[in-house]
Amino acid sequence: MRTEAKKRPEAGKTRGGIDLAGTLSAMVFIVLACLALWDTTSMTDSDSYVFPWAIAAAMIVFCILLIVYNLTRAAVGAGDSEGPESSLNHGSTPRRVGLVVAMLGPALAMPWTGFLLSGIIAFGAIMLLAMYDPWTGRRRIVFPLAGLAIVLGFYTLFSKVLLVPLPVGIWFR
Amino acid sequence: MTGLDYLWQALTPLNILLALAGVVAGTIIGSLPGLTATMAVAVLVPITFSMEPASALILMGAIYTGAIYGGAYSAILLNTPGTPSAIATTFDGYPMAKRGDGDLAITLACISSVVGGLIGAGFLFALAPPLAEVALAFGPVEYFWLAVFGLTLISALSEGNLLKGLIGACFGLLLASVGVAEISADIRFTFGSQVLLGGIETVSALIGLYCIPVMIDLVATPDRHLKVTTESKGFRLREALVISWKGKFNLIRSSVIGTLVGILPGAGGSIAGLVAYSEARRSSRRSAFFGKGEPDGVQATESANNATVGGGFIPTLVLGIPGTPPDAVILGALMIQGVRTGPSLFTENGSIVYTFIYGLILATVLMLPAGLVIGRYAYKTIITIPKAMLVPTVAFMTMIGTYAIRNSISDVVIMIVLGVVGWFINRFGFSPSPIVLGLILGRIAEQGFVQAWTIGAAGEDLTGMFFGRPISLVIIVFTLLSLFYPLIRKRWSATGAVQNAD
Repeated sequence: MRTEAKKRPEAGKTRGGIDLAGTLSAMVFIVLACLALWDTTSMTDSDSYVFPWAIAAAMIVFCILLIVYNLTRAAVGAGDSEGPESSLNHGSTPRRVGLVVAMLGPALAMPWTGFLLSGIIAFGAIMLLAMYDPWTGRRRIVFPLAGLAIVLGFYTLFSKVLLVPLPVGIWFR
Repeated sequence: MTGLDYLWQALTPLNILLALAGVVAGTIIGSLPGLTATMAVAVLVPITFSMEPASALILMGAIYTGAIYGGAYSAILLNTPGTPSAIATTFDGYPMAKRGDGDLAITLACISSVVGGLIGAGFLFALAPPLAEVALAFGPVEYFWLAVFGLTLISALSEGNLLKGLIGACFGLLLASVGVAEISADIRFTFGSQVLLGGIETVSALIGLYCIPVMIDLVATPDRHLKVTTESKGFRLREALVISWKGKFNLIRSSVIGTLVGILPGAGGSIAGLVAYSEARRSSRRSAFFGKGEPDGVQATESANNATVGGGFIPTLVLGIPGTPPDAVILGALMIQGVRTGPSLFTENGSIVYTFIYGLILATVLMLPAGLVIGRYAYKTIITIPKAMLVPTVAFMTMIGTYAIRNSISDVVIMIVLGVVGWFINRFGFSPSPIVLGLILGRIAEQGFVQAWTIGAAGEDLTGMFFGRPISLVIIVFTLLSLFYPLIRKRWSATGAVQNAD
C-alpha cells in the first residue's frame, strides 16, 4: 500500500519562522566543537588529532552557516510550523522526566544494587509512569506479577543461558 | 559428487531441522534490541562443536540470516534497530507502523530478506572465487572513500535541512572519536571520565538515539503506541508480494549492493543497508516519500542486509578473511572443527562447502514461513500489550541488551544520556540518523584516512594514493553522482522541458 506522505512541518521552527531552537543548538554545538579542539591540543600524535580536529572545525563552520542562515532568511509564514515548546506542551513533562530518572537512577545505582534489583525498581517505576488506565484490583495483581516474571525471565536468560556476567551488586555480595 | 548429491546431503531431516531451528532462534535473538547477529552466532556456536562441519555451518548460517532479519521487528515496531543492519529499516518501517501498516512492513521485510538472502547465496554459489579477489583489492584508501560515499547519505537523512544533517554527522564523527584512538592509542575527549574511556559503543548509541526518545514520548501521553485498525488483515502477503513485484529492480539492485558490500571485510550489514537505501531513494520516482513510510525503503534495506550473509561468506570461505563480524565467529568455529578455509576449500572440501551453500539457501527459504509467523506474533504482541507493560518491558530490554554488549554499566548510562540528547535535538530539528551515520562511518573513515595518509606520505605520493587508484576513482565518481544527482536530474528535466516547448 502506498500512501501519499502528508506535508509535515519541519521540527525546530517557532512561530514567525525564526528557528531559535536550531540557532541555540548550533551555539551549543560550537561550544562542544571548541571543547574538542581544545582537547586535541593535549594529543601528541598527529594521527590522533588530525581527523577530529578537521571534523570539529567543519562542525563550527556548519554551525556558523546555520546561525547566519537563520538570522538572515526571510521569515516564513506564521503558523506553518511546530516549535519545541508546542512539542513539550503535548504530553506530560513530569512523566518524561520521570522515565529518564527511572532508567538513569537504577543504572547508576547498579554497582551497589546489582542488575536484578535495579531492573525491578526501574520496571516498577516506569510501569507506574506509563499507567493511564485505572488501577483495578485485577491490574494491581497481574501487572506487577507479569513485570516481575519478565524481569526474572530476561535476567535468567542473560545470566544463565547467555552467560552474561550481570552485576550482583556490592550490597548482595 | 555432483551438485545434486550436495543438495540431497543438505536436505537430510537433521539439516532441515537445524536450519529451521537456527532461523527461529536467530530471528528471536535478533529482534531483541542490543543482541546483534554476532552475539546470536557467538552464543550458539558451542552447540555446533559436536556436529558434522556441514551441519554446523548450516546451523550457524541459519542463525546468522535469521538474526539479520529479526532486527527488522524492533526497527519497524519500536523504532529501535534490533541489529545495526536494520538502522535504515527504521526510516520507513516505523512510519509505516505508526500509520497502521506495521503488519505490511514486517511481511515486506520478510520477503525482501528472503530475496536478498537468496541472491547473496547465489553469488556465493556461483562467483565466490573471483569475487573474493575484489575484497583483496580494497585498501585503506578505498575504505576511506567508501565511508565518504556513505556520508553522502546525510543529504537523504536530513529531512530537508542539510546544514543540520551535516552538523549532526560531525557530532556523530566526534562521538566516534571518543575513547582510545585506534591507531595511535591516544586518549581522546574523555575529559578525565572513566565512563567515556571505552568510547561510545555503536549499538548502545543506536538504542539510545532511536529507542529512548520513543519511550520518552510514549510515557507522556495515553495515546496508543501504533495505529491499530479494527479488522484483522492477516499477513497481508498478497499486498506485500504485489509491492515486491513492482519493486523488483530495487530488490535486485539492493541485494547486489548488499552482496558486494558484504564481501568487503569490516563493512557489514549496516553500511550495506544504508548504501542500498541511498541508492533506492536516489533512483526512485517517489524519493520525496522516503523517510515517511515508503515501502521501497524497507525493501532496499532488508534485501541488502540479508544479502551480506552470502556476500560475507565469500572472503570468509575463499580467503579465510571474515567479511562481517559474525563471519569471524563462524570462521573460528570452523577452525576448531579442523576445516581449513582458503581457495582449495571449494575443491578439496567441496562436500562441506556446497552442502553448506544449499543449506543456507534452505534456511533462507524457511525464513519465509518462520519469519511471517514470528513477525505476526510480534506485531500482535506490540499492538495488544498495555502501555503500562510495553514501556517498562522495552526499557528493561534496552538496559539489559546494552549492558550485554560489553558487560559495561557505563554503556547503559551512555545509552540513556544519548537518548535524552536525541530527544532534545529531535525537537530542535536535528534527526538522529546523521549522528548514527557519523558514528558508524567515523571509525572506518578515520582508520582508512590515517593509514592511507601514512602510506602515501611514506611513498611521497599522497595525491596518487587518494586519487590515483582505479577503485577509489570509481567510488569518488559514485560519491559525486550521489551528491549532485538531484541537481543533474533537475537540469535534465529543465532541458527536456525547454526542448519539448520548442
